[in-house]
Amino acid sequence: MSARGLLLMGQCMPCIKKNASKIRIRRMELDKNLNMYFKKDEFYFAHDPQKLCKTGDVVLIRELPERLTRLITHAVEKVVYPLGDITDPISGKKVVVGKYREDIEMANQMFGKSEKAFDYDKAPPRGRLEGTKDFTHGETYIKYHEDGKDQPFAV
Amino acid sequence: MNKLLNIAQAVPRQFVRQYAFKSDLKIKWVRPEKIPCIKPEKSGDLSKLPKVNPGEVIPEYRDCKELETADETVRSLFKLENNPNYLTTRYYRDQMVKEVQRHRLDFGSMEAKLAKMTATIRRYQEHMDEHPRDKMIKVRLKELIDKRKKFLKYLRRWDYRRFEWILEKLDLVYKPPPSYFHWITRKESLQKLTDSYCEKLREDRLEAYHQELQAQQIPFLEEAVKKMEFVRKEQIACDVPITVTEQQIEEVKKELAELIKQRDISAENLRQKADSFN
Repeated sequence: MSARGLLLMGQCMPCIKKNASKIRIRRMELDKNLNMYFKKDEFYFAHDPQKLCKTGDVVLIRELPERLTRLITHAVEKVVYPLGDITDPISGKKVVVGKYREDIEMANQMFGKSEKAFDYDKAPPRGRLEGTKDFTHGETYIKYHEDGKDQPFAV
Repeated sequence: MNKLLNIAQAVPRQFVRQYAFKSDLKIKWVRPEKIPCIKPEKSGDLSKLPKVNPGEVIPEYRDCKELETADETVRSLFKLENNPNYLTTRYYRDQMVKEVQRHRLDFGSMEAKLAKMTATIRRYQEHMDEHPRDKMIKVRLKELIDKRKKFLKYLRRWDYRRFEWILEKLDLVYKPPPSYFHWITRKESLQKLTDSYCEKLREDRLEAYHQELQAQQIPFLEEAVKKMEFVRKEQIACDVPITVTEQQIEEVKKELAELIKQRDISAENLRQKADSFN
């Protein structure tokens, strides 16, 4: 292992390993035959005991001086873009698709905001429905066996 | 020729056939029953539509003053149950959208769209239970379910907390699609089951070995303390350079005490569990 401490940016993927996150690094690779670029994925396991990153987050990972286990070669440095909670890097405001959250909120206020509508201040942080209604933290599979038990990730 | 045959029979067979290999493990595979994609279990709808009140009037005429004083026959003409089906669907749709919309006039936001779709989907599912051969509605329902799933996927990417909120509000379950599609076959399923069986076996054996080693720890340390003390005493008595220090013995004793404490605690826990079961 080299001591370069190489930094990489990638997306966090669902992973069953404890203390580690699976990070996908997506690069473009030239196909010399067709003279075209195609995307190519590389997967790294990054040490992450506090589970900083959740599935879908864009994170920075740094290469460890020596590998921790057979799989774990990197450590999570920081979460750059949490999934579904994007901050515009120039103005520093929160964004939803093509609009600032403030602007949406302002429009709602002008039309008379509904009492039952979603409110960012009251909403708890991401991850409370994991395992009950939201199953994106793991990989799903096509159900292949009926064993009488509950298989939450079977589709 | 006979000689050759004899040799061939004497040599144990080297090559076991790989194809059509049959495992003699007693693994029973049960093919999961196919659930149609339009069923609520598959589409992710956890709850059903609530029942309409028996006396519910068409929404347009709800605040009508003439109706209040009108004849009973006239009133019954304006009840939802005596009117076309689509009006009930519309009623449900408006009810559901009202729960999640951003403001009074919001019908185009993602939440409102999802609520509208959910109401229609549940309505169609009720219809499909009654009329299982209605292919037109079946196709529409399937397309609508797929579209709702796609919209949920988008909403998750755009605004995670709102996505969670809408899941809770509409009582939906979101499962991402599996990474690749394949048909369920007996062979592949049995391979997977065998793999998990082997994995479990391996883990069980490792665990058992771990337990065995742990059980040996306390007697070993007790023995070690005795032997170390004996060696030290002998070395002092024979005037040989002393290799075992007091500190080393203390350390081993401390470790031993720690282990015994842990064992007592776990035994206590086990006893309490057994008591609670009884």
